[in-house]
Amino acid sequence: MTAMTAKTTSRSLLGTAIPYLLAILASFAAAGIFIALMGFDVLRAYSTILFTSFRTANGFIQTLLKFVPLLLQALAFTIPLTAGKFNIGGEGQLLAGAIGSTAVGIAFSHLPPALLLPLVILAGVAAGALWGLIPGWLLYRFGINEILTTVLLNFVAFSLVNYVATGPWRDQGAGHPMTVAIGEGGFLPMLINNPPLNAGIIVAIIVAALVYFYTTRTVAGYELVATGANPRAAKTFGIKTRLMFISSLVIAGAVGGLSGALEVAGVQHRLIEGMQSNFLVLGLIIGLIAKGNNLAVPFIAFFISVLEVGASAMQRTLLIPVEMVFIVEALILVFVLLSDVVRRR
Amino acid sequence: MVILRMEGIRKAFGGVPALDGVHFELHPNEIHGLLGGNGAGKTTLMNILFGLYRMDSGDVFLHSKKISISAPRDAIAQRINMVHQHFLQVDSFTVLENILMGAPLKESLTMRFGEEEKKIAAIQKRFGLEIDLGATLGDLPMGTRQKVEILKALYRGVEILILDEPTTNLTPQEVDALFLSLREMVKEGLSIVFITHKLREVLSVCDRITVLRNGRNVTTLRKGEAPEEEFVRGMVGEEMNLEKSILFSGIRESRAAPLPGGEALLKLEGAGLRTADGLQRLKELSFEVRPGEIFGVAGVAGNGQTELAELVLGLQPPTAGRVLVSGRDVRERTTAQLLGEDVAYIPEDRLHDGFLPKANIAQNLILGAQRSRPYSNGWLIDWKTVFASAQEMIAQYHIKTAGPGEVGGNLSGGNIQRVMIARAFSREAPLLVAHNPTRGLDIPSMDFVYSKFLERKAAGRASLLISEDLDELLLLCDRIGVIYKGEILGILPREKFEKYAIGQLMSGVRREA
Repeated sequence: MTAMTAKTTSRSLLGTAIPYLLAILASFAAAGIFIALMGFDVLRAYSTILFTSFRTANGFIQTLLKFVPLLLQALAFTIPLTAGKFNIGGEGQLLAGAIGSTAVGIAFSHLPPALLLPLVILAGVAAGALWGLIPGWLLYRFGINEILTTVLLNFVAFSLVNYVATGPWRDQGAGHPMTVAIGEGGFLPMLINNPPLNAGIIVAIIVAALVYFYTTRTVAGYELVATGANPRAAKTFGIKTRLMFISSLVIAGAVGGLSGALEVAGVQHRLIEGMQSNFLVLGLIIGLIAKGNNLAVPFIAFFISVLEVGASAMQRTLLIPVEMVFIVEALILVFVLLSDVVRRR
Repeated sequence: MVILRMEGIRKAFGGVPALDGVHFELHPNEIHGLLGGNGAGKTTLMNILFGLYRMDSGDVFLHSKKISISAPRDAIAQRINMVHQHFLQVDSFTVLENILMGAPLKESLTMRFGEEEKKIAAIQKRFGLEIDLGATLGDLPMGTRQKVEILKALYRGVEILILDEPTTNLTPQEVDALFLSLREMVKEGLSIVFITHKLREVLSVCDRITVLRNGRNVTTLRKGEAPEEEFVRGMVGEEMNLEKSILFSGIRESRAAPLPGGEALLKLEGAGLRTADGLQRLKELSFEVRPGEIFGVAGVAGNGQTELAELVLGLQPPTAGRVLVSGRDVRERTTAQLLGEDVAYIPEDRLHDGFLPKANIAQNLILGAQRSRPYSNGWLIDWKTVFASAQEMIAQYHIKTAGPGEVGGNLSGGNIQRVMIARAFSREAPLLVAHNPTRGLDIPSMDFVYSKFLERKAAGRASLLISEDLDELLLLCDRIGVIYKGEILGILPREKFEKYAIGQLMSGVRREA
């Protein structure tokens, strides 16, 4: 790129960063009022939220473990958003992926790692992709709104998890519905053993880089962007927009499925009811704060992971309810969106 | 004697001045032409008078009394009314219902409009605007629909009538009829503001003419007070070289040049298009466009022009006959392949069909060519090359933008049209399908586009020019086909070009051979 365009990019980068910083400051200030009204020490609360991740090795690794599913869930939302479609089925895709991974991991538990690990991951990705293909196909064939179908498929996934986790593979010794562990060959290798950090983070970062490359450098990515920018014009100029919709949902499903596969292979080593946590909602918040920009997603995902880890610490040490951080996150989103409105005026 | 005076009118849109201290005077019983190219500020000035826009500063005096108009209803109360270029009408209502719509009515609950009907009939008689009040609006031709709009203004009581580009979409015959009615109205005491960018029209019907350019007054003259050239110079400014202009060269030397030879680049063989619910959109189209030919399609909007373009681009497969592009059936290739190989396209509705507001200028400029060299190898896009050629196109086609990286949505309508033009002409495709390519462009830009068409012609490329601007077609085309209700009623070679003959075909009257 020429020097001129590089200069305009750096200036616009600063221009976009400032409203974000203001939004974060404003939301912390607003949340501070509530914390103070509830009778807690505001400054200590803040320092716990912001610095827990960086004070101890354990805190940092906790943050990275949180980062992996959040990043992938956010991408599962932003990829179809590029084409103008809303995937609200990230957790269904995560669970479908987790079921696929667990099933393969248990059924072929005797296989060596060189075979079983790729199989476990691939099964998760394929199951997630299938969970994206269903709404994609319904949209392509019958024009059914993808928001509706992706949300409803989440509930199908919940029920499937219940079915599998209470079926023949159930871990009889556990009080909570979960399956037995997958074969050890299906475990992700550890990068650090104590505190434990698995290789999932590398996979997630590679996927984020690939998504960015795909949407900004490839012809298919261009056609995805064009479809999102104006589907009618894209269609008039020969882009198969309906195919773009379906492929974006399938890719998103695969990424969502991967988040489930990594949770199984890296963290839980089994299927557990409720393992989707609140990753979907946080993923949506990350994607919306990033305004669909795939380059911004990893950084915002990391920031939200820091807040999330800080929130649990805050609850443990200061007894401030963890929901406080959820309010902060929501406020950031509100203020970011508000800054757009203000700028347009 | 002055009936209306506007003084020092200023208006800016997003910091860009559209009107910069404009003054305007209207005399009683006159037709006052408001002349200027696109972006001159004519419509903006009148929208302010009609209360659609609020001026930033300035004064309006009606009968020497200062008035303030903040909404169209204030204007209507002051007996000022405006007929826009695109009418807001309800197709499924009758003429009467459309006229009464929005008017304060005594019998609004019972819908007994006998009295109103008599009133309207009287107005019709007075001004010679004969329309069947019971006809359903959707069935009427454009000229009649415009009469309805004028009738509506007259019914509401009007002293000052503003007409915004009223001849768009009218056949030459309808234009003549409109001018007669306008004369009649002026005789009856009305004053009329006639907004147009067509010099010939103002010279034929207006009493006085005000020329605007770039939001400023250039001159106000009585008709016949100055030679034509002075108005032309006023419209285009000092920089433009009129000697080289195609637009003002009058009708290009009527070269009855023999049609160029060679195999047709576009050939329709009895092509038809019928929708799934049985509507016949296009019927038995047969014509060919040869290398080095500009083939024009004339017709009132909505007679199948868009469908014709979509047929050639493979967006809709013909339901009858064949369409051949470069000798190959369009059905053999996808639209993407056609655009990548043989065809360039300027769609009519640039905002909906041609532009990506959320993408940047560079992304917009390669739309349709994203799979072709030099922009990509089929898989990856070479952004360096794209940005470099986008820079070139921005310079060559005078697109006013901060650079290739600027978001498309920031551009004005005229600049968006320049993006469409740049995208289509830079492809140097064997066949160009252009639908109203100069809509929204100022005069120098129009001239530039015309020169590009002639360049294509000289290079032996074929162009299908679909346009609602008959003057444009007469100027550029080698042959003109007239489309009416999806059918080509006649094809005229250049030596047989005649405005009224084409107008007759446009209104569906077949010529006796």
